[in-house]
Amino acid sequence: MNSESLYQFSTLTVILLLLAFYGGTYLMTLGIRRKNEDADAYMVSNHRIGFGIGAASMTATWIWAASFYAAATSGYTYGVSGPIHYGLWGALMILFIYPFGRRFRKLAPNAHTLGELIHARHGSSSQLILALSNVLGSVISLMVNFTAAGALVSVLSPLSFQAGVIIAGVGVLLYTLWSGFRASVLTDFAQLVALMAIAIVIIPAVFFAMGGPETLVAGLDNLTPEQANFFSSEAILQQGAPFFVAVLAYAIGNQTISQRLFAVNEDHIKPTFLTATVGYGAIVIGLGMIGLMALTIGVQPLDGDMNNLIPQMVSGYLPPVFIALFFILVIGSLSSTADSDLSALSAIMMADVYGKNIARGKADPKRMLLVGRLTMITATAVGIVFASFSLDILVMLVFVGALWGAIVFPVIASCFWSRVTNQAFTTSVLVAMVLFCVARFELVDLAGPGGLFFELLASIGGGVIIGLMVFGFLGRTAGFVAGALALVAMLVFATGFLRDYTVLLASLTAYGTSTLVCVVMSLASRERFDFATIRERVGDYDAHEAEPEAGEAIPAAASLAAQR
Amino acid sequence: MTTLFTFYVLVWPALTLGVLALICRAVWRDQCRARAENRELV
Repeated sequence: MNSESLYQFSTLTVILLLLAFYGGTYLMTLGIRRKNEDADAYMVSNHRIGFGIGAASMTATWIWAASFYAAATSGYTYGVSGPIHYGLWGALMILFIYPFGRRFRKLAPNAHTLGELIHARHGSSSQLILALSNVLGSVISLMVNFTAAGALVSVLSPLSFQAGVIIAGVGVLLYTLWSGFRASVLTDFAQLVALMAIAIVIIPAVFFAMGGPETLVAGLDNLTPEQANFFSSEAILQQGAPFFVAVLAYAIGNQTISQRLFAVNEDHIKPTFLTATVGYGAIVIGLGMIGLMALTIGVQPLDGDMNNLIPQMVSGYLPPVFIALFFILVIGSLSSTADSDLSALSAIMMADVYGKNIARGKADPKRMLLVGRLTMITATAVGIVFASFSLDILVMLVFVGALWGAIVFPVIASCFWSRVTNQAFTTSVLVAMVLFCVARFELVDLAGPGGLFFELLASIGGGVIIGLMVFGFLGRTAGFVAGALALVAMLVFATGFLRDYTVLLASLTAYGTSTLVCVVMSLASRERFDFATIRERVGDYDAHEAEPEAGEAIPAAASLAAQR
Repeated sequence: MTTLFTFYVLVWPALTLGVLALICRAVWRDQCRARAENRELV
C-alpha cells in the first residue's frame, strides 16, 4: 500500500536505512562469532547471562511491531485507559512468569527449553504438545513481524510489500544464523537501546508538535463518556479482560521467555524480569499515548486502517529525520522479536525434537547445530512465504491461544505437584481444546443450559488464573484462598452474562476444563514423582570446561548418558 | 487537568529513560565482570 498522504522516502534512502540497520547488527555479531559454536550456547548461551543483557533481551523480545500499533489503536478506540489496557497486561505477562521460572530453573538448571523439563517429568506426548504450541506461536510471530516490515516499507517508500518482507527476513536470518541465541541476546541490547532512545524522543516530540497540553486537554471534550473514563467498563471488558486472561498463557506458551529463564544467571531472574516488565510497559504505553493524542484532536486513520495511526502522526507533525527514527524503531522492534523466534524455534527442534525424540540421549552436538541452523532457514522461508501471501492466520491464532490457555495449569501443576501424570496432562489439554472449540464456535446453544455449563467451567478458569497468579508470589494457601474467592465472584457475577462474550468465555473454558480434568485424573492416580530426577535427566549436550559456579552441574558426558 | 494530562502522557518516556539508564549501567557491569572472569559477555 503506497499512500501519498504519508511522507515518502526514496528507494535509495530506505535501502540505506535497512542496510545500516541490518549491516550494523550483522557486524556486531562478528565480534562473538566462533568457528565451532557450542550446541548449548547456541540455545541458551552459558546459563549465566547477566542482569543487564538479560533485561534488555527480555524487553526487546517482548516488544514486537504489533505492540506499538495495537497500543495506539487501543488508545484511539478506548480513550484515556486504552494504552494501559494494552501495555499493562502485556507487561504483566513478563512479571507473572518469573516466580514459576525460578521453579523451572531449580528443577532443571541446565535445561534449554521448557519442553525438556516436561519430557523429564512426563515423557514425549506432553512434551510434544508443549513444543507444538511453542512452534505455532513462534511461526505466527515471525509471520506477523515480517508482515509489519513489508507494510512499513510499502507505506513509507516506493518499495513493494514483498520487498520489505524479504529484506527483513533475510536480514534477521543473516545475523542470527551462525551464533543463534548468543547473537539474538547481544543484538537485542543494541536494538533496545535504539528503540528506547527513539521512543524517549518521539513521544514528547509528537505531544508538543500537536499543540502541547492545552490543545490536547481541550480536545478531551471530543471523547465519549466511556473514552474519557479511566475506569471504562467497555475498555476493561473488550481490551483488558481478554488480555488479562492471556497473561499466564502467553508466558507459559512462549519459548522465547523460557529460553531467557534458562539463560539468565539464576540469581538474576527476579531483577531481570522486573526490569523488563517496567521497560516494556513504559515503551508500549507511551507509544499508545500517540493513539490517544490522535483521538483528542480528531485525526481519522488513513484509509480507515488503524495501523496507519502512528506513521500518520509522525509523518504529519514531525520532520523527516523523526520519520527515519520511527522507521528504525519499528524495524528494530520487529527484528529483535523475529531473531528471538528463530532462536526459540531452533532450540525446540534441537532439544525437544532431535535431542529427546530422535537421538534419545545420544545427541551429536554438531548435528544438533546443523538441525538448529536448518530450522532457522526453514522458519524464515515459511515466515516470508506466509507473510508475502498475507495469509489469514486468524483461525491459527485462535487455536494457538486456546492451546496456550489449556496447557497453563498442567504445566505449572506438573512442576509443583508430584501426583500429576502424563495421562492427566495430555487428556486434560485435549479435552480442554475440544470444549474450547464448542464454546468459541458456539457449536451448542449458549442461550440455555449449555451457556450455563460453559459459564461454570469459565468460572473455574477465572479462579484458576487468579489462584495461580497469587500462588506464584504468595504461596499455596494464599493461592487457594484467592482462587476460591475469584471462583465465587465469577459464579455470582459471570453466570448469565459471560455467554455474551464468547471469546472470553471460550478462553476461560480452556483454563477451567484442563484444570478440572487434570486435578481429577491426578487425584485418582497413585503415582508420586520424585522431582530430584529431573535435574539428572536434563543436562548439557556439549562438553564444556567446568564453570567456577557450576559445582552442582553434571558433566556433559554424564548428563548425556542420564538423559532419556 | 492540564498538568495531570501532561504527566499522564510524559511519565512513560521518563520511565523509559530511567530503565534505559539502568540497563546500560548493568550491561557495563556485566561486561566488566565477564572481562575479570576471562569469559565472553554472552
